[in-house]
Amino acid sequence: ADACQDGEVKVKFSHVTNTDKHPKGIAASLLQKRVNEEMNGKMCIEVFPNTTLYNDDQVLEAMLQGDVQLAAPSLSKFEKFTKKYRIFDLPFMFNNVEAVNAFQQSEAGQKLKDGMQRRGLQGLAFWHNGMKQMSANKPLMVPTDAKGLKFRVQSSDVLKAQMAAIGASPQAMSFSEVYGALQTGVVDGQANTWSNIFGKKFFEVQDGTTETNHGILDYMLVTSTEFLDSLKPDVREQFLKIIAEVTEARNAESFNVNQAAKASVIAAGGVVRTLNEAQRAEWVAAMKPVWTQFEGDVGKENIDAAQKINGVMDQIAGLESQIQALRSSLK
Amino acid sequence: MEVAILFGLIIGLLLLGVPIAVALGFSSIIFLLVLSDTSLASVAQTLYQAMAAHYTLLAIPFFILASSFMSTGGVAKRIIRFSIACVGHFHGGLAIAGVFACMLFAALSGSSPATVVAIGGIVIAGMRQAGYTKEFAAGVICNAGTLGILIPPSIVMVVYASSVDVSVGRMFLAGVIPGLLAGFMLMLAIYIIARIRNMPKGKWAGWPEIFSAGTEAGWGLFLIVIILGGIYGGIFTPTEAAAVAAIYAFLISNLIYRDMGPLANKELAPTKSFKELLLRIVRYVVEGIVYLIPSMLHKDTRKTLFEAGKLTVTLMFIIANALILKHVLTDEQIPQQITAAMLAAGLGPIMFLVVVNVILLIGGQFMEPSGLLVIVAPLVFPIAMELGIDPIHLGIIMVVNMEIGMITPPVGLNLFVTSGVAGMPMMAVVRAALPFLVILFVFLIMVTYIPWLSTFLPNHFMGPELVLK
Amino acid sequence: MSSTTQATPKGFIGRWVNSFEENGIAVILGLMTLITFVNVVLRYGFDGGLIWGLEATAILFAWLVLFGMSYCVKVTAHLGVDALITYFPPKVRRTIALLVGAICIAYALLLMKGAWDYWANFANLPGTEGRWFPEGFQEKFLAKAWYEVEDIPFPEFLRFLEVSMNEGEAYEKLPRFIPYTILPFGVALFLFRLVQATVRVYKGTADGFIASHEVEDELDELARERGEK
Ligand code: NA
Ligand code: NA
Repeated sequence: ADACQDGEVKVKFSHVTNTDKHPKGIAASLLQKRVNEEMNGKMCIEVFPNTTLYNDDQVLEAMLQGDVQLAAPSLSKFEKFTKKYRIFDLPFMFNNVEAVNAFQQSEAGQKLKDGMQRRGLQGLAFWHNGMKQMSANKPLMVPTDAKGLKFRVQSSDVLKAQMAAIGASPQAMSFSEVYGALQTGVVDGQANTWSNIFGKKFFEVQDGTTETNHGILDYMLVTSTEFLDSLKPDVREQFLKIIAEVTEARNAESFNVNQAAKASVIAAGGVVRTLNEAQRAEWVAAMKPVWTQFEGDVGKENIDAAQKINGVMDQIAGLESQIQALRSSLK
Repeated sequence: MEVAILFGLIIGLLLLGVPIAVALGFSSIIFLLVLSDTSLASVAQTLYQAMAAHYTLLAIPFFILASSFMSTGGVAKRIIRFSIACVGHFHGGLAIAGVFACMLFAALSGSSPATVVAIGGIVIAGMRQAGYTKEFAAGVICNAGTLGILIPPSIVMVVYASSVDVSVGRMFLAGVIPGLLAGFMLMLAIYIIARIRNMPKGKWAGWPEIFSAGTEAGWGLFLIVIILGGIYGGIFTPTEAAAVAAIYAFLISNLIYRDMGPLANKELAPTKSFKELLLRIVRYVVEGIVYLIPSMLHKDTRKTLFEAGKLTVTLMFIIANALILKHVLTDEQIPQQITAAMLAAGLGPIMFLVVVNVILLIGGQFMEPSGLLVIVAPLVFPIAMELGIDPIHLGIIMVVNMEIGMITPPVGLNLFVTSGVAGMPMMAVVRAALPFLVILFVFLIMVTYIPWLSTFLPNHFMGPELVLK
Repeated sequence: MSSTTQATPKGFIGRWVNSFEENGIAVILGLMTLITFVNVVLRYGFDGGLIWGLEATAILFAWLVLFGMSYCVKVTAHLGVDALITYFPPKVRRTIALLVGAICIAYALLLMKGAWDYWANFANLPGTEGRWFPEGFQEKFLAKAWYEVEDIPFPEFLRFLEVSMNEGEAYEKLPRFIPYTILPFGVALFLFRLVQATVRVYKGTADGFIASHEVEDELDELARERGEK
């Protein structure tokens, strides 16, 4: 079902991961399968995985040019379109993936999805990878442990500032060289989700990974406003409905995918360290000043909204455990 | 069918004398405009991003530059003296020394033709004076020069690593054992031929000569430590190592060897006493500081930068257009179709590798190695992964094929260069290279079916390869 | 075999252009090497580094090739296969060479349209309509001068651009239209040199568009050195 027939709207989806192991790749494949089956005769998707067609930066240029219709870059790639997206890179902005999810579904989050229309892009859905952890060639328990270390970071001002805040020096580097660079010590550490740390085997060449949950790695499924406007209303509606269903199904899985990856890291002999309350508070204290630096870009209202959601989510969690406790008291 | 037309068009244009880059780019653009709905703007984007977005390929201009600084004669001359001191006293000693010198120079330079020019330019003439036939000399150097891309560093390996997204450091490490083996096989063959034909042997010059020649060559050979030690010691990325190598080569050729720049031809007579030596060191340090800036601004430096830049442009223009072709093939999902067809045909790993070798050997007759790799690697890589072939092993197989392509007509860069440095017609060089080509073929078969040769070092030092996808 | 046509620039302007091109190539490569080297020194000597160094070097790399490709046409340095054409008589070869010239020019024209279309919108200018040929300028397009590169900070002395290009908003990073300018510029030069080269073939002062191989110059030099010694 991969070859498009005449008369179908052809949608090229270019991404940078595999098709069957990475959370994003799996979601893209599922979307392709469902659209090609359910919208047969109306629309078809061709997926170009593994950076074979474009990398995450070029794909957005190509999309504005009309050469590709779907992409799912990580959220920091949208900083250039609107600096509001920097909220997702700010350290300890969200307590967990549930809070991220709730924020994205809130009014503030929905606004962000539409926030790039004047730049020609339309956000379709947020796709989760998960919370980011930190690894290095020595144990990282408190922020001062990272002082003087060289960390490979993605190209994002927030991520660079956050490394600078703990006294580490951020380094830019081609992604295919990261494993080798960590192994030989050209760089000392990196930050990523469990699924990437396991998938890229970074844990093999690091002293250990600390479960900091300090940031979020998420993607946005995006298209051009021009393309979306060109679709017939019924086609667009069905297309968006399938996207919403695929998003919900895969996002629900993302937490499990990362927990499984974490278990695999441990099973493969990787060292995983967790932080106690006091240690975590030190990391937060060291990194949080970065918020003020970018408050103007992100908008205070968005930070407030995110923090309110954190609070509400905590309350819900508290209430849920009370309910649990009450239930068990019935027995 | 469309693919056949596309490749037919490319070959037709090549034979007409269209520049390789234009033949690739023009055919791809026509194909793209006819078959897909992708815009011309995307072609321009691919052309620009070929350089700007492929950080790995950045190593290429730096390795070319380092090689240019060393090819001014000084480094090669000293390496040859050292090689003759080491192995010149065997039967066929000068020829064996020539191979040994090619291996050493290959460890400094990323290119095969550069190796032939640097070593062959001196050794072939020397061999003829020592009583070897011109054909034998040319054949030996033409073949040994191909080691330039197998022994790390290697421009072709950089291109492969960039095309399929594996680590350059890993590829370099993988080339070490095959490179040494190929060099050893060539030397052994020469020794056997020399015993049969009773070829000339040199005098054993003694350990002091080895030591003295070694010290002289040491400044140049230290680059091996900088490049490989730097990468595996965790000091540089491969790209940085290449840039540091270029700077180092600039410094020694200007300030130590003094083959170029403001101090050219001011190399001083050997020192006789320890006191003289100390004074000499002080003098070199002081002069080195005083002449550093004048060296950077000297016309020799400008000229070397310009020549290296020009070579980079011609090479990268081909690679960039090959990337346009790759983009078009991907856009039309050709690799998937070929993978499906090959797997459907029930191709096993062994037959697959035969097919890869045949494709590359034929392609190598027409194309310059780096451009060919950019096109072929993405086509065969997915199949190799399906069949469970190690990506590093596949890379080394490709490099060895490229070596053979360099000494077979009609497009064989080493043939051209050897015919130039030996002053022989092309066809005569082809015949001269033939006996040793047989050795390279045997070597190709060994490399293809003994993966251990390529994978042992990288797996031992860096763990098993994972495809970074 | 066709030999490298060494440019023998006539007159002051010709010589000036020639040294501008050669110096340009040398300076760009020199800068790339220095930036990368300095970054290594900074990382070890000063625990830091220019985070924009890698991107700047990569952009210079693109500039080197896109600027240098026209010079390589001028001095016939591009690589090709001359195994077949050497067997034809000179008259046939000339006809073939003219055909090759036409193909090269067609390639450059298509590339020119692509380069303009790609760059123009980044510079708030209209691209062209049409798939193969430019059929007039776009009436409506998405202006993209706000689109910045990844890491290179915006230089202060260019702040005046913000008013005309970015609706008065401040640039944090270098806008993309600046590095991308090399595309239309380099391709236009390339096209110009190809037309010149074709005219040379037509007049009979050159016989083709390709150097026979990579290292011809080095060989010439080697021959010269030997002649001297
Ligand atoms: Na080499
Ligand atoms: Na060949």
